[in-house]
Amino acid sequence: MNDSQLILTIFAAMALGTPLIFATVGEIITERAGILNLGVQGTMLVGAVSGFWATFETGSLVLGVVVSMIAGAVFSMIHAFASITLRVSQIVSGLALTIFGTGLASFLGKAGSDPLVGEPSREQFLPLLRAGTGLADLPVAGPLIFGHDILIYVAWLVAGAASYYLFHTRMGLSLRAVGEDPASAESAGVNVAWVRYAHVMIGGALAGLGGAYFSLALTPTWVDNPIGAAGWIAIALVILASWRPWRAVFAAYLFGAAERVQFTLQTLGEPWSDIPSTILAMLPFVLAIVAMILLTSGKRARFLGAPAALGIPYFREQR
Amino acid sequence: MTTRRFIIEPRGLASLRLTILIPLASVAAALVVGAIFLALTGDNPYTVYKHMVDTAFGNSRGLSETLVSATPLILTGLAAAVAFKMLVWNIGGEGQFLLGAIFSSGIAIAMGSGTPAAIAIPAVIIAGALGGALWASIAAIPRVYLGTNEIITTLMLNFIALNLMNYLIFGSKSPWRDPAVSTFPSGRPIPESFRLTEFFKRLDVGIFIAVAVALVAWFLLSRTRWGFEVRVVGDSAETARYAGISVPRKILGVFLLSGAFAGLAGGLWVAGPVGALDPRSLDLGFGFTGIIVAALARLNPVAVIPVAVLMGALNNAGPSLQSIGVPPEIVTMLQGAILIFAVGGEFFIANRIRKPEVSAAATPAEATA
Amino acid sequence: MSDSAANTLAVELRDIHKEFYGVKANEGVDFQLRRGEVHALLGENGAGKSTLCSILAGLYRPDSGEMLLEGEPTVFKSPKDALAARIGMVYQHFRLIPNLTVAENLVVGHPDLGLRIDQKELHSAATRLGEEYGLPVDPAARVWQLSVGEQQRVEILKLLYRDVKVLILDEPTAVLTPQEAAVLFRTMRQMAAEGRSVIFVSHKLHEVKEVSDRVSVMRQGRMVGGVDTADAEPRDLARMMVGRDLELSTRDQEAAEGETVLSVRDLVVESDRGLKAVNGVSFDIRAGEVLGVAGVSGNGQRELAYGLVGLRRPSSGTVILDGDDVSRATVVSHIRKGLAYVPQSRLGMGLAPGLTTEDNLGLKAFREPPYAQGLRLVPSVFKDLGAELIEKYDIRGVQPGLPIRLLSGGNLQKALIAREVESKPKVLIARSPTRGLDVGATEAVRKLVLAERERGTGVLLISEDLDELLALSDRLIVLYEGEIVGEMAAEDASSERLGLLMAGQREAEPA
Repeated sequence: MNDSQLILTIFAAMALGTPLIFATVGEIITERAGILNLGVQGTMLVGAVSGFWATFETGSLVLGVVVSMIAGAVFSMIHAFASITLRVSQIVSGLALTIFGTGLASFLGKAGSDPLVGEPSREQFLPLLRAGTGLADLPVAGPLIFGHDILIYVAWLVAGAASYYLFHTRMGLSLRAVGEDPASAESAGVNVAWVRYAHVMIGGALAGLGGAYFSLALTPTWVDNPIGAAGWIAIALVILASWRPWRAVFAAYLFGAAERVQFTLQTLGEPWSDIPSTILAMLPFVLAIVAMILLTSGKRARFLGAPAALGIPYFREQR
Repeated sequence: MTTRRFIIEPRGLASLRLTILIPLASVAAALVVGAIFLALTGDNPYTVYKHMVDTAFGNSRGLSETLVSATPLILTGLAAAVAFKMLVWNIGGEGQFLLGAIFSSGIAIAMGSGTPAAIAIPAVIIAGALGGALWASIAAIPRVYLGTNEIITTLMLNFIALNLMNYLIFGSKSPWRDPAVSTFPSGRPIPESFRLTEFFKRLDVGIFIAVAVALVAWFLLSRTRWGFEVRVVGDSAETARYAGISVPRKILGVFLLSGAFAGLAGGLWVAGPVGALDPRSLDLGFGFTGIIVAALARLNPVAVIPVAVLMGALNNAGPSLQSIGVPPEIVTMLQGAILIFAVGGEFFIANRIRKPEVSAAATPAEATA
Repeated sequence: MSDSAANTLAVELRDIHKEFYGVKANEGVDFQLRRGEVHALLGENGAGKSTLCSILAGLYRPDSGEMLLEGEPTVFKSPKDALAARIGMVYQHFRLIPNLTVAENLVVGHPDLGLRIDQKELHSAATRLGEEYGLPVDPAARVWQLSVGEQQRVEILKLLYRDVKVLILDEPTAVLTPQEAAVLFRTMRQMAAEGRSVIFVSHKLHEVKEVSDRVSVMRQGRMVGGVDTADAEPRDLARMMVGRDLELSTRDQEAAEGETVLSVRDLVVESDRGLKAVNGVSFDIRAGEVLGVAGVSGNGQRELAYGLVGLRRPSSGTVILDGDDVSRATVVSHIRKGLAYVPQSRLGMGLAPGLTTEDNLGLKAFREPPYAQGLRLVPSVFKDLGAELIEKYDIRGVQPGLPIRLLSGGNLQKALIAREVESKPKVLIARSPTRGLDVGATEAVRKLVLAERERGTGVLLISEDLDELLALSDRLIVLYEGEIVGEMAAEDASSERLGLLMAGQREAEPA
């Protein structure tokens, strides 16, 4: 494998991994509050279509990003309401959100007299530094470190901020307390419902941002499902990352690489290129299952495990 | 003076009226939401909904298609209902459906066209159920023996199954692939004797099998020792253990049964309308729609039947909307909205809101004493 | 002290009403708390003490009534408000977060906590506070690693960290040895001397006499009376608690000299963490005899019960039930061989909360006819036999088709015992059977246990309630740290003797 193939692969891994970072860190934050949100896939799609639409109408990428995050936050509020106030099954509520969001995004993309489908994006996120501008020309390191669009750097910032937030701030402590034992957190004076609402919405906003990255940076035109199975993969990545944001970056890039691996193998010729793409496409999911079985059972679970109250509805006035 | 405005408290048992009213209200609410989005994008909701009803029920062809779609949904709805009642979160119905299809078509192709129908049809049924159960076991065994959370594993298995099917048809020259067609890879048609007899347009006897299975499931759960033990485990695993019931075995049994139902749905779909392992006709979301069926039917095996017909009607009505310029995805939206309202409505079934009794002596004037 | 200062109460509650699912937990309750006093809140289980305190601590909102702090009407919308008003509570079931460290638990939700958290500063502050009040803790330990007594210390420190003026302790000595309780009482008096007020919820008369300045007695949701402790006579207090001079059932005659129905030798059972919770226990029970097992909760009682009924495999030792070796047998085997178990957790283990009363009553016998016909179950049998049992055992409040969890504690326990006893067991094991029950229900349960004794069943009564043990047992053993540290006939037993053994004070060998 020559240098450019390696670089191409790493680039692709980072590009495909970036929306996964957003969605995964967002879901980590939500799950740290004790709420399981299976609606990530739907939320990302809603973010993708709304961000694309906003940029399409106004030409502003910033607006596109902002709209996608707002849309994601508002959309996930449905799940928050169902899980926190109505205290119904979080699993079913999340799935409902994904089904609805998937339909909604496709619908909005096709509806109206002037559908978005097939329309090229008016603006796209482009690499910050182009070839020929000094730093980006450094061999290997140049393009790798400096040749990305801004959102890739933002993803690192988000992961770092989330990590610091979780373990070194007061709100982060309240968040972790709520996810581990909401009843105790409540008696200590933490407003569990408020904390959960806020962090479900933050997770939704990040998922929306992740979706927008697909439509505003990765695909040149609007298509019916620009994100593939990214939302579902993010849910698995949360576990592989042991609910820690920095590990999510690593896991996301790994999966980005796995996606890209098919193309890379093609270029290697026989026997690598004979491996069918469908088998390779299975790989991320198989890895997720294997990792789940190995990492979450037995003694390791205590240290790498989920927040203790994850998925359990919290009843404040419980007898 | 402090007085609570209202009290939320658990209901003992909801009336029958309420348990039917809430699901109906969920459908109505979803229709309202759909109407809002239709109106926002310039379509007339009434026209759209009328078109959907006409397509699904308006003529005999529509009615038969609705029931054709309902057949797998009865079974995938059963699969979800049976599992969720035990708090086994099997969301892998999609994958189990596909494995059932793979196994059924596989056994049909393997046994060949000389097989008499009396052996062929049971073979298809058993193979479908087996395929689904086996696929479910990949998630069930870690869940039961290692405590591995089944939500993620069943979810991932959906995508693996999809890719497996694609591999069998697009990625290789497997026995499932039709050797006669060289231009675009497609599934090999299964022999006639393995096909289910059609009797009403495209509707075949599969629907009777599905309904029968639903009734059997109901009987299993409410009238057998196994069903009683399952119900105890679903209510309180601690109590079940205390009573000498083997919790792991029950969970495994329910999980595999759930997979078998979904796999059977796939088998009947292949032996019925499709006739081959054709990816485009199989990747239709029956697994997830089954979850919606189960939720709306409040996990009751018999209620699954009419609800599946409703979902089948929605599925059927979708594609026809393109002819009036409406994106068929409105159906997916409606289904998602139905699920949100159905699960939200559970709150009103489980809880009751009432005003507290206030003692006559307490008035605001006393607060300043 | 001027009149106005003495008259300003730290806390006053007026006409508090609170209802849960139709049960009136507090009805027209008035309560006054002075500054710098230790005030005991006395009453039986279910009298409404915990509810009243939870209202004071902001966890529950009263349906009606008012609260005045230092004369000012106040409303708490949440525990946060209460803590802001410097009122805090240590609950019976601790509100600590197991996966977080001690230091983190101390500061969760603290209003003065800055945005950033500095672990080192936090740890030294925690250590200092612990030393000041005689409650030393390790700030870096995760709470799940601590013992129950240590966890309670953390709970108290949590509140002292917030400089609470009113500290509420709900049955704190339930999980402590007498020595630990003494330390707690010293801390309480230290806090009162500093001008803080302590509310001490209890149902134990001798503790109330020992540590409090005033006592308020509650009964069945109502405040029945308040006296200065110095003036209070135990008999009067008991009468206020119970409502009448009640003599509860005790065993009357000598135990019949029956066959040995249960024989346990060198039993070793592991705890959840893999330690030896039961460490070489041996005893026999004869038919028609009640063997009481005394001990503070957490000394192996749970594991002993589990090991005997098949819920946990003993690591070594033997259990012989009426001649059959059931040491390693399954729960079903135990049931079939005539073992009945009334667990401490009624709704969590003994009964399935969401199933109907009839279904629950059939939970032991459903494998056999008439409940079962082959693989099929006959629903009408559940209904008919259920109705019989409900009538026979006076189980009240049952509505057909409704989940059993709607029943009151007493009726739940009656249903549980009814089911276990109907199977005509050879051995009945009961753990804390009257815990949390009111007087009427306690009496009913005691009668059932004694009826079994008369029928010739061997009864193993595991309980923390010394009154109950002394009243019902023919013989007593004391369990401490998994071992039997004392064995005596009922005539030779007393609260004092048992209490010392329960605390680990071994008795001198007779010369």
